[in-house]
Amino acid sequence: MLALLGLALGACQPDLEKDFEPSNGSADFTTYVAVGNSLTAGFSDNGLYLEGQQKSFPAILAQQFATVGGGEFRQPLFTETQANGSGFLKITDFVNGAPVIGRETTNLATIPNTPLFTRSAETNNQNLGVPGIRVADVTTVGYGRITPQSNAGNFNPYFERLLSGSDTKTYLQYVQERVGTVKPTFFTNWLGNNDVLGFASSGGTAAPLTPVAEFTDKYNQVVDALTTGGAKGIVITVPNVTNVPLFTTVPTATVIAQIQGTPIPAALVPVIAAQLGLPAGSPLPAGTRLGLYVRTSATGTGAVRLATANDLLLLPASSFINSAPVAPQLFPGGVGLVIPNAPAATAAALAATANAVPNSLVLDATEVTATLARTTELNAVIRASAARKGLAVFDANAFFATVAPNGIVVNGVNNTAAFVSGNLFSLDGVHPTPRGYAIVANEMIKVINSTYGAKVPTVNPNNYRGVKFP
Amino acid sequence: MKFKSLLLTGSALLLATAVSAGGYQVTLAGIKNNGMGGVGVGLSLDQAAMFYNPGALAMVRDRGVQLGANFTFARNSFVAEGSNQQRELRNSVVTPVSLFAGFGPQEGKFRAGIAVYTPFGSKLQYAEGWEGRTSLTDIDLKSIFVQPTVSYAITDQLSVGAGLVVLAYGAVNLQRDIPLPDSFGHIELDGKAETKLGFNAGIFFKPSEKLSLGINYRSKIDAQVKDGDVTFTNIPTTFQSRFPAGTKFAATLPLIATTSIGIGVMPTENLTIGFDASLANWSAYRTLRFDFTQPVNGADFSESRREYQDALTFRLGAQYKLTSGLVVRAGGSYDESPVKDGFVTPETPDNDRLGGTIGASYNFGKLGIDLSAQYIGIQKRTQTQQDLLNNGTTDRIAGTYKTNIVIPGIGLNYTF
Repeated sequence: MLALLGLALGACQPDLEKDFEPSNGSADFTTYVAVGNSLTAGFSDNGLYLEGQQKSFPAILAQQFATVGGGEFRQPLFTETQANGSGFLKITDFVNGAPVIGRETTNLATIPNTPLFTRSAETNNQNLGVPGIRVADVTTVGYGRITPQSNAGNFNPYFERLLSGSDTKTYLQYVQERVGTVKPTFFTNWLGNNDVLGFASSGGTAAPLTPVAEFTDKYNQVVDALTTGGAKGIVITVPNVTNVPLFTTVPTATVIAQIQGTPIPAALVPVIAAQLGLPAGSPLPAGTRLGLYVRTSATGTGAVRLATANDLLLLPASSFINSAPVAPQLFPGGVGLVIPNAPAATAAALAATANAVPNSLVLDATEVTATLARTTELNAVIRASAARKGLAVFDANAFFATVAPNGIVVNGVNNTAAFVSGNLFSLDGVHPTPRGYAIVANEMIKVINSTYGAKVPTVNPNNYRGVKFP
Repeated sequence: MKFKSLLLTGSALLLATAVSAGGYQVTLAGIKNNGMGGVGVGLSLDQAAMFYNPGALAMVRDRGVQLGANFTFARNSFVAEGSNQQRELRNSVVTPVSLFAGFGPQEGKFRAGIAVYTPFGSKLQYAEGWEGRTSLTDIDLKSIFVQPTVSYAITDQLSVGAGLVVLAYGAVNLQRDIPLPDSFGHIELDGKAETKLGFNAGIFFKPSEKLSLGINYRSKIDAQVKDGDVTFTNIPTTFQSRFPAGTKFAATLPLIATTSIGIGVMPTENLTIGFDASLANWSAYRTLRFDFTQPVNGADFSESRREYQDALTFRLGAQYKLTSGLVVRAGGSYDESPVKDGFVTPETPDNDRLGGTIGASYNFGKLGIDLSAQYIGIQKRTQTQQDLLNNGTTDRIAGTYKTNIVIPGIGLNYTF
């Protein structure tokens, strides 16, 4: 009787697995190579460190490819003793509910008194992600070779740690060498972000937007190198960088309104009156108020202007604005006076001089437009390049355009683009958390599946963390 | 005295309930009925008529007691959208027990009785770390109804009956994981329901030896928890202020009304065929809301859409008396799911159900033993993340569920 029951129960368990059998479709996932920048390397919290590498989207993809014939995927991992790699941002404490963000400084892979890291011992590297690299940089000779002449523009320590000896090869040559050695059957290529991000994250002061012609030429060379052996793959577009917390966390309009709404402290009235050359005891001109000023040039103490709601204030501006006045300034960081009908020279002098928000912390309306226009142009190049070779395209730009305002719910858990609390973006406000990378990996898998008729399973992103709390 | 001791035995056993019949309704009352696809509204088989149609009790010739137990083995498989990993329940063997005792004069027109049964319940324990963990990890919903019943035969052909339904015991235990940025906490809601009253009434009409008809209405009872305990575990210190200890919750779960009609056909003395159709008023279940005495993660309530719809159930079954002692039974049922597309939750991974049953009884004089076996297949059901987005129900999980239930039942009856 019991045996009979056991038999009935064994047969009773429904079997759904055969409905969801993984398959590779027309793609071959045997050997996978990932090309890209910080996003491909697993950069997070303004640093590259072991945990981020282990949860990089290529590592997640490789893990899922393993269900459809994918082999081993080697990454240039930091060692356990140097697990914190470059160091990274972390929440050290909460003060009045606000996170205090500090930097991890132990167990680093940095070499003292140099910009270098301990070189990777991985000789079969398949994750070729180099933080900071632009498409514009891929043909730069000596990009991974430090010399006395090296500067931030033509030397990248994250590339240096992938090379050996006094190798001066370009990133493109490195990709060609890896493709020749590893013989990938599948690849991801997510380059291009830094060709606009470098400009935007410096408030338009550093790294110019990469010209379209140069981008087209170099991007196609990378794709050609990857497809030399007939590999299939997926290329990824450049998201609108102004959607990330780096640009969205400081609410410009609210900050402007708060400053405008703050009365001029009574103690300062006689001081200002004296500077305006008014008789002692006289009131300030009608309509005199405080305003938020930003600098209009990158260098020195040049011209300033009132901020407008169209300016994007970068995340670090939050600690600059309203910082304590530095003598002889009367007002806190970014704050100055607006005096109706005052002579231009007087108004300018009293507006905000040394304490205006630096240009590097402000992406103004013109710069935003230029960034977005170039993003659109570069994405057209990426799509055309993929079409040339019949590759899958993950439109990360379209994806983040819906995630930024709406968030994304996966398996019952809500994730948003909010800084710290949103789960998707790490403490640098630009790079994803492991959760964010897992969600991105899933989106890529969906595109790979539909393009190549494959059934690669997705991961449960909720098994990957958002921002780490103390 | 005998009856009383039986009742006590019964209540000691009445600890668990099961998933069967649409939603969290369980139609596992009489073991004889179970063998016949669950029919009973248009029949007067035995004391279990108190559940199916109190009006038929007066037509039950025998007075007696019967005790039944149903061993419910639910086997559920789930694959999350995009995944290839099948999740299976940790354990879900539950044993709803029922007891029916009928009394009355040998030849009189009155019958009285008491019924104890478990018409609603659910117990599911999902796999550790499954994809829907923030929606549900464990649920244990129990209810015990005690129903004193009277029935009166107005004529030889027509009888009526009614019972006062007492929700004598109701308990809910619901657990889920709380998504924190870098870990999972856990919340357990545990409460007892207030005692509530309802009724169960029916009319039974037997125009000839070959035909009987019945109609039955069981009223809705709102199971109400007023002062349930909320327990948080695995909450890191940083977040503890958002999950205050000592929080209480209140919630109401409708134990919905059911209207049924039934037909019995007796072509020969030894053959009985029954057909039932029921309408369950599931549309009373709109939302599942928990009100908290202190804010939990910033909100003093949580609300989740259910939007169930009324659902029909059809049952067909027959019994055949092979010898004077042995009766065999078979039947089947089709049970429409009250849960709309995009609204499936892990508490009731529901869909339309198809059931097949067999059963047998053997009598040794005054003592009889009833056996039944049911197989219920809940149809495979897939809901996509897009379905959830379209319905504003992203608090649950997208994926495919399939459940099979095997329910062997055993009953003992003693005729006075």
